[in-house]
Amino acid sequence: MKMSTKRRLKGIIYQILAVAAMIFLLLPIYQMLITALRPSDLPWISPMPLIPEKVSFRNFVHAFQLVPRLPRYLLNSFLYGLGVSVISLCIAIPAGYALARFEFRLRRPLMVFIIYANMFAPIMLLIPIYVIMKRFGLINTYLSVILSGSIFTIPLSTWLVTSYMQTIPKDIEEASFIDGCSVYSAIYRIILPMISPAVIAVFIYAFITGWSQQFILALVLIKTDQLMPITQGLYQFFSRSSVRWNEMMAAILMSTAIPVVLFLSVQRYIVKGLTTGSLKG
Amino acid sequence: MITSRRRTPYILILPLLLAFSIFMLYPLYKVVESSFYKASFLNPTFRVYVGLENFRWLFNFKVFDPRWSYFVAALSRSLLWVGGSVGIKVVLGIAVAILLNSQFLAGRRIYRTLVIIPWAIPWAMSSMMWAWTLNSQFGLVNSILLKLHIVDKPVTFLTTAKSAFLTTMVVDAWVGLPFMIIMFLSGLQSIPDDLYEAATVDGASDWTKFVRITLPLLKPVILTTSLLSLVWTFNSFDIIWVLTRGGPIRATETLPVAIYNVAFLLTRFGGIGKASAMTMAQVTLVTVISVFYIRTLRRGVEI
Repeated sequence: MKMSTKRRLKGIIYQILAVAAMIFLLLPIYQMLITALRPSDLPWISPMPLIPEKVSFRNFVHAFQLVPRLPRYLLNSFLYGLGVSVISLCIAIPAGYALARFEFRLRRPLMVFIIYANMFAPIMLLIPIYVIMKRFGLINTYLSVILSGSIFTIPLSTWLVTSYMQTIPKDIEEASFIDGCSVYSAIYRIILPMISPAVIAVFIYAFITGWSQQFILALVLIKTDQLMPITQGLYQFFSRSSVRWNEMMAAILMSTAIPVVLFLSVQRYIVKGLTTGSLKG
Repeated sequence: MITSRRRTPYILILPLLLAFSIFMLYPLYKVVESSFYKASFLNPTFRVYVGLENFRWLFNFKVFDPRWSYFVAALSRSLLWVGGSVGIKVVLGIAVAILLNSQFLAGRRIYRTLVIIPWAIPWAMSSMMWAWTLNSQFGLVNSILLKLHIVDKPVTFLTTAKSAFLTTMVVDAWVGLPFMIIMFLSGLQSIPDDLYEAATVDGASDWTKFVRITLPLLKPVILTTSLLSLVWTFNSFDIIWVLTRGGPIRATETLPVAIYNVAFLLTRFGGIGKASAMTMAQVTLVTVISVFYIRTLRRGVEI
């Protein structure tokens, strides 16, 4: 009897703590939602009401007037994401296969270097990247951001493919070698279908990263409005003296919905890859 | 068959090797090289060899603060900021992970999905959302603080030095927290239940179980995750840039922000060489942490 009241009390305390944690984690998302849904012609009240008095979806339409290039920024981010994920996959799949299946002298040092490379961030290579891109006349091109963005997603992509490949038995591909299949056609015809979960996970991981985390690279490499990714495009309107918050939050909501939904759909694979990576080395 | 397959792995890793050499090793070499030259972005090919001048500049150049050089101030600010942010991430990460792993909590699955959402939002966007959430007049943080009578007039989070420093630190912790929670959660799930059951039979309290079972078994995950987070936080730029641009009065100018400023904005006293010398410090610190990280991973394999 005493035990069960204690358990119930514990359940209530845990529930309160969990709600408190969620308030911290979801607060800005909630603020974005209520601001985006509150009509912009309503007068501002301080402090802001926790639930909007009126709900309207007009801000989502007006966001396109406030930020006329919004579709263009979204398209740009999509292209950056696509470019980064295609390059990452083209490099990670063959490399991941080699690292998982072959024993060669470079293997161990390369695995260690991949872990090290995964620690790199744009700020560490920003200056040489700028100089190199300038020398090749690539400043203000899609290619500059895609190439320099890929290098930061390639390590984890390769790691994810390698660790997934290691969980797949060798028998099937070895049977295909006996049938006279070359390694390259075996990768294409047999391996690729088998590792498709890893391929999808890597594609989406690299796509989201390319889509969303190009802020500092774009700050340095992109000079014209037409080529800006969504983060930088919206930042221009954010850094102005007076911000139209309702339309701004509607724009942010529309443009974060895509990566959030994509991410939630593959987070299991990414988490698994990250945890097996850190547990098995 | 065997002779032809000896070359195969090298052909397969060739694209990776090329990518690493062109976009990582060569730029790294350029950072080292250009830290010995004086040059500017207006004409990067025109440069003068200055030896260790740029490194001397790191410790001699005092501009905004008479006590420390510009670089030492940014570096120590960075260390403090990173320490605070990673500290919050680790402590809150463990706490929330234990909470979400507990059988006493109803609705764990929903909570676990909600926790991940902030992870997927671009950092720059998160910062813009936070800037609005922290707004002194209309932000929810102030509404809540006022309604709970914790403060009696609105707090301006980003306009005074100390509070801007703490606020950017907490926002960075917010951005990194989902990753920590998920990692710790998967670490907790790998601890066998019978250990706790045996401890319960022996009459151990929750605190004893936490100190004697959870912490020791979670230690490898805590160690690797913290080192990873340390590097990511040390490289953090977007959040500070969007929220404060390193201000007010340079209170949030961490090393990455300072590197960007010296390279691209403060051209009057900055330049490629000096920014490269500062980048060397950034790279060195990341490399040192990486060595520890790789060593802990290796140790995990042996055991």
